[in-house]
This record gives sequence, structure tokens and C-alpha cells, in this order.
Amino acid sequence: MLSQIAFYLFGSISIICGLGVVSASNPIYVVLWLLGALIAISGIFFSAGAELLGALQLMVYVVAIAVFYILIITAVPWRKLHKNEQHNRLIGVAVLPFVAILYVEAFIVALSGVSLSKNKIIETITKNYGNASTIGIKLFSTYFWAFELMSVLLLISMIGAILLGRKEEKTYD
Amino acid sequence: MIESLVAKFLVQNVEQYFVLAFVLLGIGLFGMMVRKNLITILMSLELALNSVNIAFVGIDKMNSLIDGQIFALFTIALAAAEAAVGLGIIISLFRLRKAENVNEIIDLKG
Repeated sequence: MLSQIAFYLFGSISIICGLGVVSASNPIYVVLWLLGALIAISGIFFSAGAELLGALQLMVYVVAIAVFYILIITAVPWRKLHKNEQHNRLIGVAVLPFVAILYVEAFIVALSGVSLSKNKIIETITKNYGNASTIGIKLFSTYFWAFELMSVLLLISMIGAILLGRKEEKTYD
Repeated sequence: MIESLVAKFLVQNVEQYFVLAFVLLGIGLFGMMVRKNLITILMSLELALNSVNIAFVGIDKMNSLIDGQIFALFTIALAAAEAAVGLGIIISLFRLRKAENVNEIIDLKG
């Protein structure tokens, strides 16, 4: 009951903040709306019992990536950023009815009671070990190679970002 | 009628996570199409990636699994990599071509 109320609260906050991300025109405000949406999504994670994921969401997304975006916004010139039209209104008006139809369809399907839920299976494991250590055990046994590949991917992307962001003498106007 | 609807909304099921994830994914995709600024396009992409995490966590909660959270961890790492590379591309685009909106990058237009 209580987790249900928390789900609706955080879900509505995240949807409102997502609409702000799409519609706000000032990029700093867009970052702030995105921060609100990410914090609400981490609240959903906490209320669903995924504590480690919620904490990582707060630490990685909300702190690291959002600050990164603000750094990038300060790196591009402000005057030009503010002067231009921020939205592609024609595409927006053209696409919006299809999005609305999809949403109506999804809500009808959800309300008509199509069910995917199943009974509890591994709940005893999570009860014995807790969320974080269960994730750690799974991550370093079953998904070990995926974990290693992900670390290689992060290394490659770091090198790529450094290479892309370096200074060059020539510009192509 | 209304009581049964309210009762349906108070029971926790996996579909509500799916509906929320779908709504957020749609908002993110819509933002990717509508926005002109490259940075805000990337931010809409972050929103869409996060919605997938919500679906993973919802499946985990309802089926008492743990695997979806691990995949959500991978998604977070992927989003960090994507943000680093994408923002590097934006910086170099601005530095080389003085462009930051998608309709200014028209060098490959036939």
C-alpha cells in the first residue's frame, strides 16, 4: 500500500519532470528538469526494493552526468544558445497525435488487465543476503564476462572522448 | 465500477512499471525528435535510457529476480560512456564547425 503510494508519487513527479525536459527552452532549466526526473526515478528504485541501483543512480547519474552536462553547457557560447529557436515545432505537431494514440493504447491494455505477474521465486535468497550482496554475487559469478566487457567499453569511451575533445588548430567554417 | 478501478490501481503489478517506463520512453523519444539543440537531444536520450531501467526494476520486483538490476547497472555504465563520447562530439563539433544545433550541420546535404 505504502510502496504503491510512493510509486504513484515518484512516477507522477518523473513524468512531470520529463515533460519539462522536453519543453523547457533554457538549457540550464532542461538540466534541472532532468535532475528532478532522475531523482524521482531513483525514488522509484528505492521503493521497489532495488537499493543499490537507487544509490548508484543518485551517485552516477544525478551527481556525475548532470554536472558533466552543466560543464558542457558552459563550454558552448551562451548568446548563440539562447538566441536560437530551441524546438522543431513542425515535427512536434506532426508526431504528437501518434504518441498520444500509443499512450492511449498502452493505458487501455494496462487497464484491461493483461497480466504478466508471477509468484515469488528467489525471494529467500534476497532475504538471506540483502540486495547489494546478492547483486554482487550475481555480478561476479554469472555476469562476470559482461562486467569485464563493460569495463573495457568504459575505457574505450574514455579514450575516445579525450581524442574527440582535443584541440585542433584548423577550423572548418 | 469506480471501486473496482481504484482496487485495481492499489494492487501492485508489473504493468504499472511498464506503463511508466513506456510513458517516459515516449517523452524521451519525442524530445529527441523535437529538440534542435544537440545537448538537449542527449538529455532526452538519458531520459529514455532511464525508463528502460524502470522496466527492469519492475520485472525484478514482481518476479523476485535480481538479473534485471544487473542489466540496469550495465545500462547506467553505458549511459555514462555514451554521455562522455556524445559530449566530446558536441565539443569538437562546436570547436571545428561552430555548430551546436542539428540544423546547422548540413555539410553532408546532397
